[in-house]
Amino acid sequence: MPAMTVRKERKSAAAIEDSRFVVIDTELTGLDERRDSLVSIGAVRMQGGRIGMGDTFYRMINPRRSLTSESVLIHGITPSEVETKPAVDVVLREFLEYCGDDIIVGFCVSIDMGFLGREAERLFGHAVGNPAIDIQRVFEWLLGRGFFPGGAGVGLPRRYQLYDIARYFDIEVNGAHNALIDAFITAQIFQRFIPAVVRAGIKRSEELVGISRKFKGGERQHYFSGMFGF
Amino acid sequence: MLFKKSLINEDVIGFLKGVPPFQFLDEKALQVVVSGLSMEYYPKGTIILRQDGPPSEWLRVIKKGGVKVFITPDKGEDVLIDYRGEGDAFGLLSLVGGDKSRANIVAVDDTICYLLDKTAVMKLVESVPAFTEFFLKSFLNKFIDKTYEEMHNKSLLFGGGDKLLFTTPVGEIAAKNVRRASDSISIREAAGIMSEGRCSSLVLTDGEGVPAGIVTDRDLRDKVVSKGRSADDKVSDIMSVSLIKAEARDYCFEALLKMIRYNIHHLLVVDHGRLTGIVTNHDLMMLQGTSPISLAREMESQHTIDGLAPVARKINEIVGLLLKEGAKASNITRIITELNDRLLKKILEIGEKQLGAPPLRYCWIIFGSEGRKEQTFKTDQDNALIYQDPRTEEEEAAARTYFDVFSAFVRDGLLKCGFPPCPANYMASNPQWRQPLGVWKKYFSSWVYSPTPEAVLKSLIFFDFRPIYGDFALADSLRDFLGSFIEGQMVFLGYMANMIIKNAPPVGFFRSFIVEKSGEHKNELNLKVKGIAPLVDMTRLFSLEKGIRETSTIERLSEVRERHTIVREHAEELEHAFEFMMLLRIQHQFEQIEAGKNPDNFINPDRLSNLEKKTIKESFALITRMQDIIIERYKPLIW
Repeated sequence: MPAMTVRKERKSAAAIEDSRFVVIDTELTGLDERRDSLVSIGAVRMQGGRIGMGDTFYRMINPRRSLTSESVLIHGITPSEVETKPAVDVVLREFLEYCGDDIIVGFCVSIDMGFLGREAERLFGHAVGNPAIDIQRVFEWLLGRGFFPGGAGVGLPRRYQLYDIARYFDIEVNGAHNALIDAFITAQIFQRFIPAVVRAGIKRSEELVGISRKFKGGERQHYFSGMFGF
Repeated sequence: MLFKKSLINEDVIGFLKGVPPFQFLDEKALQVVVSGLSMEYYPKGTIILRQDGPPSEWLRVIKKGGVKVFITPDKGEDVLIDYRGEGDAFGLLSLVGGDKSRANIVAVDDTICYLLDKTAVMKLVESVPAFTEFFLKSFLNKFIDKTYEEMHNKSLLFGGGDKLLFTTPVGEIAAKNVRRASDSISIREAAGIMSEGRCSSLVLTDGEGVPAGIVTDRDLRDKVVSKGRSADDKVSDIMSVSLIKAEARDYCFEALLKMIRYNIHHLLVVDHGRLTGIVTNHDLMMLQGTSPISLAREMESQHTIDGLAPVARKINEIVGLLLKEGAKASNITRIITELNDRLLKKILEIGEKQLGAPPLRYCWIIFGSEGRKEQTFKTDQDNALIYQDPRTEEEEAAARTYFDVFSAFVRDGLLKCGFPPCPANYMASNPQWRQPLGVWKKYFSSWVYSPTPEAVLKSLIFFDFRPIYGDFALADSLRDFLGSFIEGQMVFLGYMANMIIKNAPPVGFFRSFIVEKSGEHKNELNLKVKGIAPLVDMTRLFSLEKGIRETSTIERLSEVRERHTIVREHAEELEHAFEFMMLLRIQHQFEQIEAGKNPDNFINPDRLSNLEKKTIKESFALITRMQDIIIERYKPLIW
């Protein structure tokens, strides 16, 4: 595991190419923050636009709530697989250590942050403090400015998911999926965004954090990655 | 830890297993490599490394997309070094050198690379000889060859390459895996270690581990085998005890000087008092590209055909050697041209010496691919002779007699040197192609004014003529004459245009390649007929339209760019496509020669990399576009 970075005053104030990102994906038993819980966390680290192939994080978690048949079907994680896995407390501690104070990046990241935050609150009494970038928001923002071939996202379904964006950028999405592979796919998408946002005049990561917070998206709606109930 | 072995890494390992030199690594070493790997994305047009800019911090392996490697010389245009596609790597030289980037590297497509950092690379360089060897061969020589030919705008065979000798530190090219053994072992044991390690030298150390001597292949040959010495003798009996060293930061020329001074082929390389490597004369030769130089010198020193013939037969060998060591394919044609030109001049010189001075001024001309300076491995004789118009019948008779004997001498001389006669008998030894200037002018004008298919075919071959020896004014005069009336000869040019547009690129409706359906070359594509010839032919057409004198396709294109308003904007693309096709063809032919086959022009598109496929399709698309322009231009004459 890499050494923790030295804390700077505000990580997100750094230039994009000097920023460290942790690109995450989580798998959940369901979408209800009160009843459902985390099944696995996957993450890949990026330094600027560079994805560290060996610097990854993946843990399965023994969920408090028993797996539903739906979630088993979607994630392919069976109850017997997670029974032997550590509890969320252990994994979250490891995960936050892995994150350090890097900027967290994800697709519809507010959901992931919600679940992670709830667990952190319960364990440490405070939410996860890392700034976060939502690539779905950034994507909409870029589409709105006419970036990418086809301008307004030609070829994308009206309600798109992570994999639709990936296919849009010709990123491989074949094979088995888990939180790590999806985090890796997310990282590759984010990687494609970086030259575009730089061209759009964005220099610092905090501007992307800002877009993720404020920008409400275009007309298109999206599915949350691997979600149900919508 | 669990996460070290993720599915992501498995994918990368799978990829690297198919990529030299990583495929030489075992599974464990690959795991280590991958754990330190990162990945970057460059949109098309990104400048990844800049010449003379900071050195590369990474060795980059292309996962997807492609890059163009080129050098911007102090003056003149950019020099294309190479295109690299999926599985190819770049940045090693400046990574290892650590001083600056040697070339510009630009993404020609949206490109994804895996990045390996310096520490990891150095670890591989030190521990896996095959790894270093691969890169030395594939990188260094591309630069050497290009550098010595074009960057310095000097003659192809002399100079230029020497510059690297003065700028490259020995440490950079020295083999790092020095084999060592105790000086108390036997000659047989030493030889065993050397053949096992496939190295040409072995450093012997004394009881304290201090280098005491060196034994080389040459010692085994000169001091053991030829002397009948027992292999059970101690190696210390035959080792050289005077250890000649070079400092790692010494420039290569200093190392070369030492080798010449001490008449040795191996030099120990020392860094801060520690033995770090060995450099051989072969390493330096590779750097210097001396092989063609020495060949040219050897040729120069011959005075008879019999002396010349064995030297001439080395031309193909040397070309093979250059290619094998990674020399850039597109320059091979120029090296062949240069060497063949020299050889031919030498034969003509010897002929004049043996037969005495000619009764009239003459010029020896060559045409076809020789005329265009685009020869590859296999070359027939394609030549002719123009002599001064005789003023009297006596002169005419004397000239006939002399040039009859002279041209036969040259034909036989070339044959002895390995150039088969032209099957269509386009040779000066054929009286038809050994004529006074006036007759040549008549030939040319009759072909143009009465463009029968046969006449057009001849003009395609002969109009690419260039003078090689004798009085160039005669050839110039013929060229002037052609230029003076060809412009506006729409019927003739229309014939050429028709011929060009009939040769459709082999790309199907769905952008798939159209290949041979049956026969020996099933599923293959004739690169010469379908790729190179159309570009040569259309470039010739554009040049004739504008009375351009140059004969080589590249030189013609640069003139076309200046003077042909309609084609101007396509000149660069045409040049690019032509260079690429030639490169592909030479690489293909070399592979065949390597495999002991006769070189041909048939390639299998399935065996091309994605980047190559893409480029070749773009080239075919360009040919189609140009054909459309030609159709538009010659509309009334197209049938």
